Amino acid sequence: MSKTYEYVPEPALVKGNHDFSSITALVTDINMRPTPKGWYIAFAISNMLLLVLLVSIAYLIWEGTGIWGLNQPVGWGWAIINFVWWVGIGHAGTLISAILFLFRQGWRTAINRFAEAMTIFAVMCAGIFPAIHVGRIWVVYWMFPLPNQMAMWPNFNSPLLWDVFAVSTYMTVSFLFWYVGLVPDLATVRDRIKSKVGKVLYGIGALGWRGSNRHWWNYEKSYMILAGLATPLVLSVHTIVSFDFAVSLIPGWHTTIFPPYFVAGAVFSGFAMVLTLMIICRKIYNLEDIMTVDHIEKMNLIILVTGSMVGFAYLMEFFIAWYGQVEYEKAIFIIRATGPYAWAYWIMIACNVISPQLFWSKKIRRNVTLTFIVSIVVNIGMWFERFVITVSSLSTDFLPSSWGYYSPTIWDVLTYVGTFGLFFTFFLLFLRFLPMIAVAELKGVMPQADPHNYDENGEYVEPKVEVPEPKKLNS
Amino acid sequence: MSTTKNNLYGILAEVRNPKELIDVAKLVDKSGYKNYDTFSPFPVHGMDKAMNLNKSKLGWIVLGHGIVGLTGAFAMIYYMMVYDYPLNISGKTLMNIPAWIPVMFELTILLSAFGAVFGMFFLNGLPKFNHPLFNSEQFKKVTDDGFFICIEAEDPQFDAEKVEKLLKNAGAQNIETIHDES
Amino acid sequence: MASNSPKLTDSVQLPSNLDATKTFYGIGAAGLIASGVGLFLNSEQFFFSYLTSFTFFTSIALASMILLMVHHITKSSWGTVLRRIPESFISKFWIWALFFIPIILGMSTLYTWTDPAYVAEDPIMLGKVPYLNEPFFIIRQLIYFGIWGYLGYKLHKVSVEMDKTNDWGLVVLLRKLSAPGILLFSLTLAFASFDWLMSLDAHWFSTMFPVYLFAMSFQAIFPIMILITFWLHNKGMLKNTITQSHIFDMGAWFFGFTVFYAYIAFSQFLLQYYANIPEETLWFYFRLEGSWAYITYTLLIGRFVIPFVLLLGRDRKHNKTLLKYTSILIIVLHFLEIHWIVMPVLHDVNFAFSWLDITTLVGLGGIFMGLFFSTFKKNNIVPTSHPTLADSLTKQYHQ
Repeated sequence: MSKTYEYVPEPALVKGNHDFSSITALVTDINMRPTPKGWYIAFAISNMLLLVLLVSIAYLIWEGTGIWGLNQPVGWGWAIINFVWWVGIGHAGTLISAILFLFRQGWRTAINRFAEAMTIFAVMCAGIFPAIHVGRIWVVYWMFPLPNQMAMWPNFNSPLLWDVFAVSTYMTVSFLFWYVGLVPDLATVRDRIKSKVGKVLYGIGALGWRGSNRHWWNYEKSYMILAGLATPLVLSVHTIVSFDFAVSLIPGWHTTIFPPYFVAGAVFSGFAMVLTLMIICRKIYNLEDIMTVDHIEKMNLIILVTGSMVGFAYLMEFFIAWYGQVEYEKAIFIIRATGPYAWAYWIMIACNVISPQLFWSKKIRRNVTLTFIVSIVVNIGMWFERFVITVSSLSTDFLPSSWGYYSPTIWDVLTYVGTFGLFFTFFLLFLRFLPMIAVAELKGVMPQADPHNYDENGEYVEPKVEVPEPKKLNS
Repeated sequence: MSTTKNNLYGILAEVRNPKELIDVAKLVDKSGYKNYDTFSPFPVHGMDKAMNLNKSKLGWIVLGHGIVGLTGAFAMIYYMMVYDYPLNISGKTLMNIPAWIPVMFELTILLSAFGAVFGMFFLNGLPKFNHPLFNSEQFKKVTDDGFFICIEAEDPQFDAEKVEKLLKNAGAQNIETIHDES
Repeated sequence: MASNSPKLTDSVQLPSNLDATKTFYGIGAAGLIASGVGLFLNSEQFFFSYLTSFTFFTSIALASMILLMVHHITKSSWGTVLRRIPESFISKFWIWALFFIPIILGMSTLYTWTDPAYVAEDPIMLGKVPYLNEPFFIIRQLIYFGIWGYLGYKLHKVSVEMDKTNDWGLVVLLRKLSAPGILLFSLTLAFASFDWLMSLDAHWFSTMFPVYLFAMSFQAIFPIMILITFWLHNKGMLKNTITQSHIFDMGAWFFGFTVFYAYIAFSQFLLQYYANIPEETLWFYFRLEGSWAYITYTLLIGRFVIPFVLLLGRDRKHNKTLLKYTSILIIVLHFLEIHWIVMPVLHDVNFAFSWLDITTLVGLGGIFMGLFFSTFKKNNIVPTSHPTLADSLTKQYHQ
């Protein structure tokens, strides 16, 4: 061997000298301290953006979808792009909660609550777009299988209807998952908070949780089953979103790799969004002991993997478009890379495929500032991915006589910007009033929680790894 | 609950850490007590074995819900697409089962998740906002860093003095009698 | 856990009476000779059968390879005690690669795109010539087998070296090997799946196909590891090392990838069925008409519904009897599914099972297992020095 490497034992999940009660204090004190001034400022800005959203929606309902930049044949524009983008972001929460839980990845406990909250708010933002895009919003209930005056049912063969079921199921299950995880922590706040009103409100949320082991027994089972259910669910949601495109015959949309490719892309953007928010929050709320650089590094690895998977899918699409020798498919991929939207295409490639490759370097993976930048770049890239898929395929479809350039209007932009208001309004409320880290779960993965780490007298013995001395091989 | 025994609910004691909690739970279980419970800020590994807990029934509840979701979804789609308002859609057969699978899947998951969450609350008897243990001031620590065990007065073997002695010998501290004040 | 760190209590040497290398080589030689007779009787059938069997065993080796690399980069501990099994499948992959030669010799029988007269008439095929031509095909195979052979050899060698030197720094080397390894592996597997299987029907295309082959193979690797574990246990080996917890883990992976396989296979089917455009649907048309349809439904039920129902419960995932029979079922169906992908090209109306399917399967299987045992017996059957070994040994099954 020309080069020798040094083995570095796994770092502890919680940095610093913490015991159970200091962890409790570190996290739940945030909810009990007076509201910081900065929070009010951020909340005010979010509220203004939310107002922008409400005005845009009101005007849309008043005037109709003509206020958007849609045309024929580009009947799907920013609304579907934003929908897919937000739903995609909403995938990290359940992935971190469910899949990493099943894989027994202890590091998830530092970020799962946070990511789950993000999921719920992101899916709320996503849900708005198809709902307001239907045109006649007052009959939006036609999407559901409810008896109506036409005696007709929704079309169960349509992927758009599958979407209704998938997104609403995802929203419900994510919320339940989040809430089940919250119950023990709400009980913690209930037992610590001084204010009477707070006690009652957190008490209601905690449902009378008292840490009983007979309860934990069913609780853990329930959490495990929920994780088992949420894992295929999270795959199915973006799969069904991809079906919206892939079951059609539009060139560039009908390709079988769409389901896993969309899921990988969703996880990719979701992790990036979690990182963006987490890097800000750990700084402001002094949670660097819990959300450590090791966590950031692990998440960066997932970004690298999923980013490469997305790159792999781009390559497969491109290759098969050529290999299949279908004229329209071949054409659309050339148009994407060289046509009127080439700028969007190359932004997408640069942001999604090239930028995460930085994370091959351990130094960059552990660099918080660079991670922050890449995490934002990735989400820009993922927005453009949906833009490229939607707009390039529709604007240059089978009929060259109707080809044209699609541009959004100011209302497209304002609606999109407004959803950030909605997202951050809820997110700030979450940060202010709910424990942003799953305290009970975090305690459960601390070495002090393992009964094996105590000696006969009941004293805590810190676990140590003994690295053996390497022998020279005489060969 | 137990008005018979002078409103006595049980005897609560605290131990220092998860290991001691397991040890004391093993001891209490071996001594033949049935109505007791341990309390901790997080689920302690190996506690189910120490307490000899029966397997959770939750899996069956979820399975039942899942089956209802799956068959219910199929029945609904069949009724709407084949029986009540048959419509030829893109030349596919009316029983277009591959296209129904996404909705069937989603509803299976949805109902199973309801089963998992509400089934868990049901098995745990939650919500229960008022509980005798909440009368104890020291019990507030249970959601922070306190590890407790409580032997209930309902236990056929219950004898306040014996229980106190048992817990004291096991090294438990802050032994407290809990009364049901409701 | 400094003082009471767990130690291996079982013997880690495969006793010589369990060494089946020679038996398997014998079986393999017999099978290959019998198949060789078939080459003269029915060369067309021989090559298709050979391709089926070769793909079957190669898919197992490739699944082992990706499993190992993922295990290394995720620093997992669940499979540390099991690792020598997949490692032994791939350490001599470079020898296994030689058995691809008959497929190159039979190219003109297997692949219609090698026929210049056919290609000249078909504008679609003409367009594919830059990729689908004989020299480039052979060059690509050299690249694939070169990369896989190297990865297989190296992954095994470094791991064994760690046993001897106690040098935990080698896990870093394994990670540095695995990370780019996974990238190269995905690309080579993708194009190999196009070359070997997809181009049999030279018009058909599906971007999902590599993922589909991967999902199939990955579902099948766990049953194989489970059966080898049971065989070792049966012979009194590693009883305290590979415990209920590890069996449960394999069962859980098995279950998980059963669902993943179903997801991928269904998505591929649904998209082509739904869009219903001729150049795609035809592939499924051939497999849903005539008696091939029965195989299709057998695969649907046997590869997804049955294992899903049987392994759903938590206790079921470590139930030995159940795991044994489900594992056998999945391995058989994995072969059948590759058969179902390959054979409709030759027998396009009805399912046809030839004796050559059996002889090539036995022949190549003998060689494959012989290569496995020749490596397996030489080294410790469990890694004896590894950072995650203690963690892996102390794993306990929780209800």
